[in-house]
Amino acid sequence: MATIETSSPGEAGAVSRLQVQSPVFSRGRYIAGLMSILAGLALWEFLSRVVVANALFLAAPTQIFAAIYNLAITGQLWPHITISAAEFAIGYVIASLLGIGIGFAMASSEVGKKILQPWIAGLYATPTIALAPLFILWLGIGIWSKVLVVIFLVLFPVTINTEAGLRTTSARLMEMLRSFGATPWQIFFKLSLPSAVPFILAGLKLGIGRGLIGVVVAELFGSRAGLGRLISQSADAFNMPELFAGVVILAVAGIVMTAGFTRLERMVVPWTRD
Amino acid sequence: MAKLALTGLTKRFGDLEVLHEINIAIERGAFISLVGPSGCGKTTLLRIVAGLEPASAGAVLLDGRTVRAPGGDRGFVFQSDNLLPWRTVFDNAIIGPEIAGRTGAEEKNRIRDLLRLVGLEGFENYFPRQLSGGMRQRVNLARALAIDPDILLMDEPFSALDAQTREIMQTELMRIWEEGRKTVLFVTHQIDEAVFLSDRVLVLARRPGRIREDIDIALSRPRALAVKRASEFVAYVDRIWRLIEDDVRASVIEEHP
Repeated sequence: MATIETSSPGEAGAVSRLQVQSPVFSRGRYIAGLMSILAGLALWEFLSRVVVANALFLAAPTQIFAAIYNLAITGQLWPHITISAAEFAIGYVIASLLGIGIGFAMASSEVGKKILQPWIAGLYATPTIALAPLFILWLGIGIWSKVLVVIFLVLFPVTINTEAGLRTTSARLMEMLRSFGATPWQIFFKLSLPSAVPFILAGLKLGIGRGLIGVVVAELFGSRAGLGRLISQSADAFNMPELFAGVVILAVAGIVMTAGFTRLERMVVPWTRD
Repeated sequence: MAKLALTGLTKRFGDLEVLHEINIAIERGAFISLVGPSGCGKTTLLRIVAGLEPASAGAVLLDGRTVRAPGGDRGFVFQSDNLLPWRTVFDNAIIGPEIAGRTGAEEKNRIRDLLRLVGLEGFENYFPRQLSGGMRQRVNLARALAIDPDILLMDEPFSALDAQTREIMQTELMRIWEEGRKTVLFVTHQIDEAVFLSDRVLVLARRPGRIREDIDIALSRPRALAVKRASEFVAYVDRIWRLIEDDVRASVIEEHP
């Protein structure tokens, strides 16, 4: 990333100084990160095979990757992944739309905020995951009970961030628009909305981790398929490699989605960097 | 008829009287500065003229009409640049016409010309965070000029800049002003800046804010920076400083007891 500083081009001509991070340095950091992961995996392999040396307690990385491979080629893995992915995606999309909508309602009306605020704040603080057994009782062990859990976990950070983002519109910038005769609607679309986008994205990003937790925990309480189901099945059978296979896939999904979101943020709201 | 006239303008915040019966008449095309110690209400006065703040009594007359709300006839240049960080230089400069619903090709060409005038040619697609403070103030100025206002209201636009950049910006402002000769009301706490730029300097006193002295600056135009070392220039600065010295001392003691 480059920072450009320029002083009065009209007088002195454009005097720009580019500070570009040295590629050697950033590649060095990248290598350091990779080395750290590889060293960690090696240590894990060593602990698992030499120190613990009991497949009932700990699986080595090589055994986990072998388990993932076997589950994949026997066709057992795919249904688990698609079910969990569907539960996550449906719940996440519904919660995002609902959360942004409720956030808008709270930000645009004092009465709306007074009515919704105690519920939002109360339910956000409640560990709603504990309600998963109830939802399963209501909606059965299919995907919809899990979707509901995901909605409950994702909804609140999105709502709260949307509301906060819309409310923290800079008074100085609002005054600037007012000086040009902007209407309240113009102020909303040209200022409040764009300045809320970074907050909304941060809420959505927070929702990813919470949504994944919701999927897995809800599946642990009762399900026919899904990565949570795979984990609990494997635990019952003391099949550590397959248990860890489920965990690793979830971890990778979380990391990939969060990283993707960070990239998206850089593209959509580049002004929030530095 | 005066381009801009303030008649008996008074502003109170609760019990505190900030401005007391200000009467000013400004002729078309004049460059007028308001100087005074902090707390003399000079920024409040400018905000009332802009329509951003209501007056408690008295009126602001633009070409004889009373103005109470912001309008396209007045362009405001803010102390902090107030640029929208997600918009490019060009998109920031066009915001005024855009709010008024004018974004045609003709308008865009005009904005491009304006950006060239303020020395930002080639920077149209830069974002504010990529610009120095001086360049951001150039965008701030171009944005106010973009609505082609009758009168330009400038609120200490160079106060956040370093001393050298400020001097450059003063000469740049003079160059730009000579091109169109808009009526300008310029607020500053820098006496030499006021004398250098203005046809008239209004010296304000504080508690409540009122006009202490109205000084014509009889220095020939165009003015080069070197004029700041001329004896007449120094005499003006001296005279204004003596007018506000006691007030400034009082305000400094109040702020740092």
